[in-house]
Amino acid sequence: MAQAHEPKPEEPMSEAERAALDHLREYPFLKPLPEVVLGKLQPNLVERTYAAGETMLRAGEYSDAAFYLKSGIVEIRFAAAASPPTPREKGGKAAKPARSLAGFASHRSGVAADGTVIVADMPVDLSLNKNVLLEPGELFGELSALARYPLSSDVVAKSDVVCLAIRAPALRMLFKQKEVAAFKKEVDERYRTRTLGAHLRQVDLFVGLGDRAIERLRQTADLASFEPGAVIVEQGAKADAFYLVRGGNVKVMVRTGSTDLAVTYLRKGDYAGEIALLMDEVWPFSLQALEYVEVVKIPKDELQAAIRDHQPIEQRLWETAVQRLKERGVVSRNPMTSQYLQMAMDTGLIHGESVLLIDLNTCTRCDDCVRACADTHGGTPRFIREGARYQHWSVPVACYQCSDPVCLVGCPTGAITRALGTLEVTIDPQTCIGCHNCVKRCPWGNIIEVPFSSPTLKKDIELATKCDLCVGRSAGPACVQMCPHGAAVRISFKDLVKMQETLSA
Amino acid sequence: MSVPVVLRPKRPRWFAVTAAILVVSLAVTAAAGWWRGWSPGDWWGLTFGTMAALLMFLAALYPLRRRLAVGPLRTAQDWLQAHVYGSTLAAIFVLIHMGFRLPGGQFGWWLFALTLWTTVSGLMGVVLQKWIPTVMTAQLSVEVIYERIPEMVAKIQTEAATTVTGASDVLQRFYDQQVQPAIAGLTPSWSYLLDVHSGRDRRLATFDHIQSFITAEDKDRLADLKSLVTEKIELDAHYSLQRLLRLWPIVHVPPAIILLAAVAAHIATVWYF
Repeated sequence: MAQAHEPKPEEPMSEAERAALDHLREYPFLKPLPEVVLGKLQPNLVERTYAAGETMLRAGEYSDAAFYLKSGIVEIRFAAAASPPTPREKGGKAAKPARSLAGFASHRSGVAADGTVIVADMPVDLSLNKNVLLEPGELFGELSALARYPLSSDVVAKSDVVCLAIRAPALRMLFKQKEVAAFKKEVDERYRTRTLGAHLRQVDLFVGLGDRAIERLRQTADLASFEPGAVIVEQGAKADAFYLVRGGNVKVMVRTGSTDLAVTYLRKGDYAGEIALLMDEVWPFSLQALEYVEVVKIPKDELQAAIRDHQPIEQRLWETAVQRLKERGVVSRNPMTSQYLQMAMDTGLIHGESVLLIDLNTCTRCDDCVRACADTHGGTPRFIREGARYQHWSVPVACYQCSDPVCLVGCPTGAITRALGTLEVTIDPQTCIGCHNCVKRCPWGNIIEVPFSSPTLKKDIELATKCDLCVGRSAGPACVQMCPHGAAVRISFKDLVKMQETLSA
Repeated sequence: MSVPVVLRPKRPRWFAVTAAILVVSLAVTAAAGWWRGWSPGDWWGLTFGTMAALLMFLAALYPLRRRLAVGPLRTAQDWLQAHVYGSTLAAIFVLIHMGFRLPGGQFGWWLFALTLWTTVSGLMGVVLQKWIPTVMTAQLSVEVIYERIPEMVAKIQTEAATTVTGASDVLQRFYDQQVQPAIAGLTPSWSYLLDVHSGRDRRLATFDHIQSFITAEDKDRLADLKSLVTEKIELDAHYSLQRLLRLWPIVHVPPAIILLAAVAAHIATVWYF
């Protein structure tokens, strides 16, 4: 009788597979990797060729891959030179007809005094109206892939180009291999040299900090990555560093009895560790990675030295520290206050910039919201009025308009887009070919398919459709406006105070 | 003491403004009546009659707005509030118009009865729309789209049949006699309006009685059957309550249309004669 758990003998590698691995070894940074590691990486490593003049990446798109340039010349064109969108003021009203993405600009680029634009995802400093060329051996787009920033620039093949697309899972795995430590160091060093300074300047806390101080921080900062669920700092441990989140979401939690209660969460651009700088204390809360998280870690002493002569910064640190301690106190005294935040983290709603919620206590199930949606979209509604339920709130199957929309990654025709600086992710029915890529990528199953006779393809396809926030409709989303009982609301999980207020009403 | 949900205004400002208008109107009526008596045909009587008619016609626009999902016309909730508070004021203005006296003549009685019926049925709708959602949310664990209820019942039937396949004779007989009839089709009932768990414990008690007669393996099946029957009972409750929410306009809308026609005829008659 065969043993149930007998390991399967490793199948011998076919000639084609071996040839593919050998081909990958032509890339110098992959050369030292053991065969088994390279084999695991292979499905996420794709060699691509582009003809001269072909656009490789477009500004505003999301890419889940970094690109290593093997041969040819690539030109980076800074998108702002064309038609920069106007991002929403913090807390201000959305621009119409397109709604803006709050906080977008802060993660995109830093503008130096001479007008040079430092973009986070490209290994170059760009000037408006001045394009930059990349040569073989350069890696670009890794920050977009790892931290899910929208691409800041158009990337065009200047000559015939061969490059290796390294998808995010492979990139993460690759960076963990000791054989490519030098390559990883090189990438980190370039981030430190090119981008970290600009990144630090964008942090609210460091506004007004001089070039010398920023330079000192840049030199001493460590870059660290954490897997989902990893504890970044433990409550009670000695607070000896300051953390700046550069990608992913981080849960802030306090231990009450035997339970960890969510206090708040940090997104890219947020920071923690002010307690470490202000006093010789232990961490009053824990930080846990909710997904893959990239952080910049600055040792306590270095940051203290850098900000020693900057009174306003110390003031801001105290304000933040007091705010965090207040939040912690509220949660400790009344654990129920963290329930919605915890739910949002558990369900992924924290990614939502405009989540449709229905208050079942007031909803009469009349379906006027669905009817209004259908009327606005040519007879086909863009959401389904059923879904997860939390207490008296229902979360219908409707696009959350995520901060980092993974559905945008890899659309072969560019049909699904989010215009730079706007909130709504839209699908162009004229260019959608019904490949289901976005449908499969949406982690929440909020993109649905409807039968459609494509005028472009001249055949019937399953068109991907999703909520587009009724873009162009002056009164905003029809589902909310046409609910006769005010049961349908849209909230952003970025605004935790408003979220808690709405949900606990 | 907290106010029950059905009596709590969703928009307190609308309620306050309506109450203020009502108080002023009654004060004007009392003053005008004290000063020179009251007649539906004098200036004040006609004024309130005209306002009542205008509010009725305004209220009639709400269903049109519901079907017109165009942008800049305020929210549907604003329109519904205007419909509810406007209609209520209209009914009171009718009473004021009549000088709080019973109507004279057959047509007057028809108008009066239709106004009363439309107003009461409308307010009944308001109560139902406030009350039923809270009951469904607080006391039913299943949430379902009305049109999908028959489909879900069919799914329960299939699942139950699959669950009982290969079961012992005892459980099979129990399924045939107790479970199958309970999940055979939708059984809407008014009793859910009074008690949303209407008879659930009694109906599920049979599952406890049979426990000691079946094998351990069948106990798992029995538990699955019990949860399916529970779900079916909840679907019945949903069906009954959601159907009520959908059907109550039948007692409100046709009389309201007749009332509008009668009011138009009343105005035409007054103008003509």
